[in-house]
Amino acid sequence: MRRLLVLAGLLLLGFWWLSRPLGLSPEDVPRHAPDLANGERMFNAGGCGSCHGKVVDGELDQLVMAGGMVLDSPVGRFHVPNITPHAEAGIGGWSELDFLNAMRRGVSPDGRHYYPAFPYTSYAKMNRTDLLDLKAWLDQMPQDANQVADHELGFPYSINRGIGLWKRLFLDDAPVIDIDRNDGQLDLGRYLVEGPGHCGECHTPRNFAQAMDTSRWLGGAPDLEGDGRVPNITTGRASFADWSEDDIAYYLEAGVDPDFDVVGGSMVAVQAHLALLDASDREAIAAYLKAVPGVE
Amino acid sequence: MKRTLLLALALSPLVVLAADDDPIPQRQDLMSDTREALKPLIGMSRGQVEFDAATVSDSLAVFATTAEKGPALFPEGSESGHDTEARDTIWSDPDGFQQRFTDFADAVAAAQAADIQSLEGLKAELNGVLGTCKGCHDDYRVEKD
Repeated sequence: MRRLLVLAGLLLLGFWWLSRPLGLSPEDVPRHAPDLANGERMFNAGGCGSCHGKVVDGELDQLVMAGGMVLDSPVGRFHVPNITPHAEAGIGGWSELDFLNAMRRGVSPDGRHYYPAFPYTSYAKMNRTDLLDLKAWLDQMPQDANQVADHELGFPYSINRGIGLWKRLFLDDAPVIDIDRNDGQLDLGRYLVEGPGHCGECHTPRNFAQAMDTSRWLGGAPDLEGDGRVPNITTGRASFADWSEDDIAYYLEAGVDPDFDVVGGSMVAVQAHLALLDASDREAIAAYLKAVPGVE
Repeated sequence: MKRTLLLALALSPLVVLAADDDPIPQRQDLMSDTREALKPLIGMSRGQVEFDAATVSDSLAVFATTAEKGPALFPEGSESGHDTEARDTIWSDPDGFQQRFTDFADAVAAAQAADIQSLEGLKAELNGVLGTCKGCHDDYRVEKD
């Protein structure tokens, strides 16, 4: 009996140690003079407003990131938080370290794990300086006092420490796809798609643990928000393989595909943001998508 | 046998009528026509086809027809079948859905009133029209591969 208790105690200690939130330390914050234009570019690449935006009379205002939208997922209902610079309701009180911890490690200022419905699995691949630029840009956006409700999750997902183990398996700041790093355009495209763009979060199917199945990277997945499918955007899908890089870049700019179909579903809000990037960023995304291994 | 044949003959006009009246293929055809009409406008915008004011005007007329005929083609009972991409929100939020057609009609009317005579003019107006397509496709269409 006593041995069993000791064993249980050791297991609990092991779980506690393995699942602890792994934040960055203050010396991980680079000295950096924020570049607001680049911060806005990161915001547009990420389309933060598509989820965090405020819905007023059925219309989404992507520039007031008061949160409140609900994401229904297989593990429960997530309430999207307020990320306006409001000191109490939003993230106005956050330090640079707090912001980097949230985006790269999925750790909150009070040392808890965020649920990966917040796609830090992608943002972990972002440069720290880009993140600091994004923070500076968010800090000068409109405040909103909207208080967002807590997530509604069932057991066992309600155990916050469980995410710590999940992160050990699935949180990785290394790139997903190997590319020729001497090709600057391809490198930029990979960064935008795998990092701030977080395209894989919807376009990649999820595994048993609801993590992105990187062996089928961008290969299409069920639509968690609508009832259709998020398309396969690799050359493994014949109809997408026919798109030229120019077709892809134009789709991201105007929202019209080579068959003259106009963008729909959640991609509408994403495309609206991507249209605001420089053409060179959209061209880089297009080049990368053509280089990703085809998923059948 | 003879009676069955007679019955079938008697009913056949009804069957044909039903097929003709089915709003799903009708609205699918309407969307196809709209897409065809968009084709030259995108070609011009992308610099692949030369600008032509008459073609622009023809396409806008097709859009106006879509805006006019569209709203009546989503009656109750046409929620499924024919591989429809119509989403259930059309029937759970009929006012919102009808408003999207009004927005589309307004944007098309504005483009027609602008009397487009140049590529720059086309690009300026096309964005507004496409915005109303997206404004409906985002919430009222099911995305398929």
